[in-house]
Amino acid sequence: MLDFLQYTYMQRALMVGVLLAVLVACLGTVMVHKRLSLIGDALSHSSLAGVALGLLGGFNPIVGAMATCIVAAFAIEAIRKKLGNHSELAVAIVLSTGIGLAGVLSGFVKSSADFNSFLFGSIVAISAFEARLVLILAVVVLLAFLLLYKELFFISFDEQAAAIAGVPVGIVNAIFTILTAVTISIASRTVGALIISSLMVVPVAAAMGIARSYKTTVLWAALVAVCSTVAGLILSFYIGLKPGGTIVLISVGFFLVFRGIGYLRGRRGSGKAGAFAADGDKGAKSGSEGGV
Amino acid sequence: MKKNTNRTGRFKKSVAAVLSMALMLSMTVLLPGCKAKGFGKDADGKVKVLASIYPMYDFVKRIGGDYVAVSMMVPAGTEPHAWEPSTQDMMKLEEADLFVYNGAGMETWAEDVLKGVQNKKLTVLEASSGLGLLVISEDDEHEGEGHHHVEFDPHVWLSPNFAAQEMKNIAEALKKIDPAHASDYDKNYQLAKDECDKLDSEYRTALKNSDGQYIVVAHEAYGYLCMEYELRQMGIEGVSADQEPDAARMREIIDLVKQYNVKCIFFEELVNPKVAQAIADETGCSTQALSPLDGMTQADIDAGRDYFSVMRDNLAAIQKALN
Repeated sequence: MLDFLQYTYMQRALMVGVLLAVLVACLGTVMVHKRLSLIGDALSHSSLAGVALGLLGGFNPIVGAMATCIVAAFAIEAIRKKLGNHSELAVAIVLSTGIGLAGVLSGFVKSSADFNSFLFGSIVAISAFEARLVLILAVVVLLAFLLLYKELFFISFDEQAAAIAGVPVGIVNAIFTILTAVTISIASRTVGALIISSLMVVPVAAAMGIARSYKTTVLWAALVAVCSTVAGLILSFYIGLKPGGTIVLISVGFFLVFRGIGYLRGRRGSGKAGAFAADGDKGAKSGSEGGV
Repeated sequence: MKKNTNRTGRFKKSVAAVLSMALMLSMTVLLPGCKAKGFGKDADGKVKVLASIYPMYDFVKRIGGDYVAVSMMVPAGTEPHAWEPSTQDMMKLEEADLFVYNGAGMETWAEDVLKGVQNKKLTVLEASSGLGLLVISEDDEHEGEGHHHVEFDPHVWLSPNFAAQEMKNIAEALKKIDPAHASDYDKNYQLAKDECDKLDSEYRTALKNSDGQYIVVAHEAYGYLCMEYELRQMGIEGVSADQEPDAARMREIIDLVKQYNVKCIFFEELVNPKVAQAIADETGCSTQALSPLDGMTQADIDAGRDYFSVMRDNLAAIQKALN
């Protein structure tokens, strides 16, 4: 029954997949509440530009990818603050810049082989080095997330109120931005950009359908991301579906089911279900919901 | 105060914008300058041939010798399945006497490109015409999604005998275009043909005891080679390159590697080695480069590698893997 566990590539895929799913669900919950749900796409495309820069400039393309990801993430932060009500534009602008730059720069890269080998990530072909890298990343990001949990919770809903309450918004945002950028640059090379940018958003959106607080949103999102990853891998193993697409579609399935449950609960008038998502800001401001 | 910083911020941003635009403009202006235009002066008085991919380029050079000026369309080191011609390639096509492409589905872009060419004197040669092509099985067709109308395995040049026949087609075309040097083309063809025969007998001798053995390759480009020398290939990514494998395919390959005690996984320089490496990690195999020749890099060419030397390197690698 569990014969997929006999294969090293499946063990690695499951380990790395589960770790990244948890990580990305944590990061994603903050990002979704900051109205930056497409940040994964924007950053993974920017990392392509970084890979091209690295190949052209003769330095390590992985370092290039991380550097451009960090720059892009800070650019999103900066633009977002300037645009106020239209903060979602920040992601679109950085996404376009990333794709544009990658397109222009890749024209100068002589060998498409080099380029491909740095872009391509597949969850069923993870090297031992990448697995270790993800393990370290997971420890660092999860520690930071737990240590900064309260601050992030505040900032997610209302930065100004957080600042007034004495949260060092600038520093927390900066740390979080760097962590997100590094996670996406490593993860998109390890398991592919599709999995990472989708798992940042869809499980969180699913969780918001039934969760009653910020904390339970994080936990449900992590659970959905982990279940989607594991189920997707097992399906891919037994019936030969492409792993990336399968994982994403399963998470979308969770989204539909959870939203359905939330809707039914709401109709029964049991009150609060789903209200958290809709009135997130209000809930956070009054501090009535759990998690702090 | 706030307005002021905003303004300087905006000023800085527009300076950055102007600078980056200037940078991009200069790139676009400089880029074409890097490439040679057309066939150049050296080509005057020679037959101007545009070859689609490296094997065609090598064959034309071999047969044409000093009487032809050959230009390769898909740049060295580019994965040819996913390439499209630029406007400069189109300009060269307008100037050329002969366009040689492999055909059989290799250059999916060839038909569309040729439709747009005005050049009246251009002769078009599908080098694989008249060869007994391998039909790709249903399963592989599925693997090659996004590759429309792939019906045949195009990698004919990996069989020395078929390579010789492609050279013959090229020689015939050159003789028609440039009858003055017909005897030279014939002579060059004969030399190349002898070399192909020699290569063929080297393969036969070396692989005499390897009937039915498996080679595990990056993508299934070696159908003709396997047919000729009675090997079997297992491709990680089907006939066209650049596909992500699924977990079931990985298991299939790993099980096969274990079952047949395969010692070496072949990867291609132009296809991502991560999958080959993952399988090698799993099974304790070694990995080794095997070149299907369609993506020779400039470095390879500069190092003096050509069709025959790469085919011999391949043979050495296969022999090592099977013994």
